[in-house]
Amino acid sequence: MPVLNGKELRIVGFLCNWCSYGGADTAGTARAGQPTDLRIIRVPCSGRIDPLFIVKALLNGADGVLVSGCHPRDCHYAAGNFYARRRLEVLKQFLPVLGIDDRRFEYTWVSASEGQRWQHVVQTFTKRIHDLGPAPKLEDPEPLLKVVDMALTSLRPLGTGQKNKLDELKAAIKAKLPELELVIGWQQGYDAARTVPLFMRTPEDVDKLVWGPFNVNNPAVYLPQYKGKKVGIVVKGCDAKSVVELLQENLINREDVTIFAMPCEGTLDMARVNQELGRYTTIDKVEYDEAGVTITADGKEHRFCMNDYAQGKCYGCTMPTAVISDTLIGTPTEVKPGPYTPPELALLDSMSLDERLAFWRGQMERCIRCYACRNACPMCVCRDYCIAESREPHWISQDDSTRDKLFFQTIHAMHLAGRCTGCGECQRACPVGIPILALRQQIARAVGQLFDGYKSGVDPEAVPPLLGYEVEEKNIHEREWK
Amino acid sequence: MRIGVFICHCGSNIAGTVDCAKVAENARMFPDVVLAQDIMYTCAEPGQAAIEAAIHEHKLDGVVVASCSPRIHEPTFRRTVERAGLNRYMFEMANIREHVSWIGKDKEANTNKATELVQIAVAKLRNDKPLKAKSFDVNKRVLIIGAGVAGIQAALDCAEGGIQVVLVEREATIGGKMAKLDKTFPTVDCSACILGPKMVDVAQHPNITLYAKSEVEDISGYVGNFSIKIRKRATYVDWDKCTGCGACTEKCPAKKTPDAFNELVGPTTAINIAFPQAIPKKAVINPEYCRQLTKGKCGVCAKVCPTGAINYEQQDEVITEEVGCIVAATGYDLMDWTVYEEYGGGRYPDVVTSLQYERLLSASGPTEGHIKRPSDGKEPKNIVFIQCVGSRDRSIGRPYCSGFCCMYTAKQAILTKDHIPDSKSYVFYMDIRANGKIYDEFTRRAMEEYGTEYIRGRVSKIYPDGEGHLIVRGVDTLLGEGVEVKADLVVLAVGVEAAKGSPHLAEKLRISYDSYGFFLESHVKLKPVETNTAGVYLAGVCQGVKDIPASVAQGSAAAAKVLGLFSRDKLENDPQIASVDMKRCVDCGKCIRCCPFGAIKEVEFRGKMYAQVIETVCQGCGLCTSTCPQGAIQLSHATDNQILAEVNTLCQC
Repeated sequence: MPVLNGKELRIVGFLCNWCSYGGADTAGTARAGQPTDLRIIRVPCSGRIDPLFIVKALLNGADGVLVSGCHPRDCHYAAGNFYARRRLEVLKQFLPVLGIDDRRFEYTWVSASEGQRWQHVVQTFTKRIHDLGPAPKLEDPEPLLKVVDMALTSLRPLGTGQKNKLDELKAAIKAKLPELELVIGWQQGYDAARTVPLFMRTPEDVDKLVWGPFNVNNPAVYLPQYKGKKVGIVVKGCDAKSVVELLQENLINREDVTIFAMPCEGTLDMARVNQELGRYTTIDKVEYDEAGVTITADGKEHRFCMNDYAQGKCYGCTMPTAVISDTLIGTPTEVKPGPYTPPELALLDSMSLDERLAFWRGQMERCIRCYACRNACPMCVCRDYCIAESREPHWISQDDSTRDKLFFQTIHAMHLAGRCTGCGECQRACPVGIPILALRQQIARAVGQLFDGYKSGVDPEAVPPLLGYEVEEKNIHEREWK
Repeated sequence: MRIGVFICHCGSNIAGTVDCAKVAENARMFPDVVLAQDIMYTCAEPGQAAIEAAIHEHKLDGVVVASCSPRIHEPTFRRTVERAGLNRYMFEMANIREHVSWIGKDKEANTNKATELVQIAVAKLRNDKPLKAKSFDVNKRVLIIGAGVAGIQAALDCAEGGIQVVLVEREATIGGKMAKLDKTFPTVDCSACILGPKMVDVAQHPNITLYAKSEVEDISGYVGNFSIKIRKRATYVDWDKCTGCGACTEKCPAKKTPDAFNELVGPTTAINIAFPQAIPKKAVINPEYCRQLTKGKCGVCAKVCPTGAINYEQQDEVITEEVGCIVAATGYDLMDWTVYEEYGGGRYPDVVTSLQYERLLSASGPTEGHIKRPSDGKEPKNIVFIQCVGSRDRSIGRPYCSGFCCMYTAKQAILTKDHIPDSKSYVFYMDIRANGKIYDEFTRRAMEEYGTEYIRGRVSKIYPDGEGHLIVRGVDTLLGEGVEVKADLVVLAVGVEAAKGSPHLAEKLRISYDSYGFFLESHVKLKPVETNTAGVYLAGVCQGVKDIPASVAQGSAAAAKVLGLFSRDKLENDPQIASVDMKRCVDCGKCIRCCPFGAIKEVEFRGKMYAQVIETVCQGCGLCTSTCPQGAIQLSHATDNQILAEVNTLCQC
């Protein structure tokens, strides 16, 4: 239905049944006049409000979304609004990275007796939205294609890891192998400049194991399917964080998984390596030195210095050695955390809201909706039941629309809130090179800022911030309605 | 589907600012709508009859009523459609009165808004599924937490009604605060004389199991079937053997033990019986002061006990009780008044609380009913009462009125005059709140018959004059001038707050509480006894300040609720609860972690683990649904698809 003669803007409200819906009733009973723009959807509890409903509304034409629940402590269901508060605050901090003005979304608490407060909230919020004007649509701006600047300084020296004790690692795996169904690692792919996952079942398989800057895949992605079986896994520092998350979510059992680890010196950004190599027929040889790799393709030498060609995540890596392992080969590397913004996020940070919307429009037009990002993600544990492809529930259409493609990226990012370890597999797997990691990085940054620097993938016993709450949140404060 | 839409005029309440006929006309365009009518009063009998007739005539399988708030008439219309043979959940409501007609004057905008609200109701209804309630057995036993007068009343009423009662009391004796009072207003009858018999009834009633010196440690389960863990604190006395003879208390050498029952006015012995009418009348050792337990040498009580009841080795005991519902009656405590520096912040012994003064007045108290001031034991002649100490004071974050202080202050002034005829009482007050039966008459008696001087104003300072008196400096706002009273004793009417540990208990009970720790009732006016957790009821001051008559009334009211609940052999659950689609569940446990009610458990099915909703425990908040990434757990009647249908209807441009 078209918005009335341009007089109104589209404002959607999600109100909990017990407090705020009652507060709106109280306002009505008191004839507390309000603007007519707001349409209220009644839900049992603010905890029922999946932040994705809000993104869905905002991407599909809502100019503003207002959420209201019971005051903290007054929740009809004891704690629903405590959970809602954390999730909605994370969402509020996430929206700008999509190019959506976070002022278009607000949440508040109104009790069933606070008719006047409700009137004030509606008046204030409606005025705010009218001041902002109609929300820009994703299709409106000209696509803006910007490239991530990877010229970065690393927190530590990057290398090729050739001094590592691969033979010692192989021996350790062989020693354990009889107790294990298989051990997951890497082997050379179709040429010496590629690796593919290796599933070691015999000592001969173990001999195929390789270690170095081409070990880009995160083998943790395969672990949940072996839940209940005795398996081993070889991990880099970043892969280990995914293992920790899987343990935290009960998707694997610690006693079933044997973790082999070696300190990692960095991995190559294969997208940029391939770009540099261009079209070629054969890889003649790959030579390693301490600082980089020289690939000879069709007789032509290409030198890739790790400091220039590492994956974005490697520059800011503070955990090159696995946080959790059973067998650690080599000496753990200590890296001091330093100021570091991932390059993808830095690009988004440098843009205005309008530019970001234009950026995502351009990027999503390139998306072929192959779901490689999802399939490579070790934390995408829904597998065959991803809501991107289901009818029950039916979150997203199968249309080839930029909105739905961006909405899928939002689903992935929101589902990773407090879980994403920043392994970057989503972006690495993207066949068209969309810097989608930025969305996950923004979520992780928001979670860290809101919840005392919480980092996922460090402690298997930690309570993930979005599955817990504090009665008094240290870093979340109710905004005033002035 | 075949959907019927009914637009209510509500007289002119809606039709005044909404074109109801136009809304009905618009509604006919919505998918699956086969009938749309506007009706003068849908909730009235002809309106409901019209809906029923339309369901039959047009073979409707879903109904939308656009009228007032669903919080008012959703149950009404659900019954209507049920009478016509539809499932009660194949019904949706659009609120076009409170949310449209009453808050906007622009008829065009209102009509458009009402149309859209109907449209989203239709969109949701198209995703509705019939739901059926399930029934389950009820364990007809009740747990009552707290044995003050409210809890005692509830326990006795339930027990009389034939219900098995488990009564848990934190202190060594039941009776609560009322047991500490000397007399009660407005009749000035003896508190022990009216409460005592009830306490004895509790002890003797065959249907009551009493756990004194015990606390509720854990509560699990749901209405009809709660499982309670009760921690019985070690008393170091075998109560089965103790006869309450008191020989031990006479001989105990640790005579400087603080006397909690007497509000710390005067000491007691490390082994003691709270007061002569205590129920159960059993001795308890205070382990912090007992010489045997602290220093390992003494053992006097064990030597003198004629039944050999003393057991220094006794440990806490945890007992499990199964009940069907719970009454919380945990009462109150006085707030910490020492935050008031102007009253001496607790430094002057002759500034006492009203409850301490009750003990000074009481014949069973430390002074045996003779008013002696704590500092030197002299009889005070000038007594100043200060009201609203920690009540109605925003500066210390306590805006509420403690309710009964005006009345007991009048009572204490009257009793003071009775005890010491040549005494003079002064009362500094803000307002006199005496709104009960024979209450105002009572305060007037204090003033007129007993010559109590009431001074309307606050006290700014109390300080000793160095000659054994306290100078109370305040202001008389009626005269507009300062006053100073030379007092021998100052009694503070200290404001009440919920009993210590109330928030902790609320969390165990899964009920809400306010920032002062008082438990929240379901509805301030209409459900003052129920809580938002099914099967948990409230009685007494734990819900909000009230005096003895009101506490007793609420105790009986809670008992009535219990008896009402137990009048049925089976209970039905609300079918608007969550359920798990097993094929989608990956057993990540996120829903289990955040469910506020512990209503989700892991179950094994064909060698794999899944989440499963315990239907009787689930309260239907839907937190799990918004937590599950793969949408495997859905809240019936507020599924993702239903809310998405509403969002999509509103946002499609």
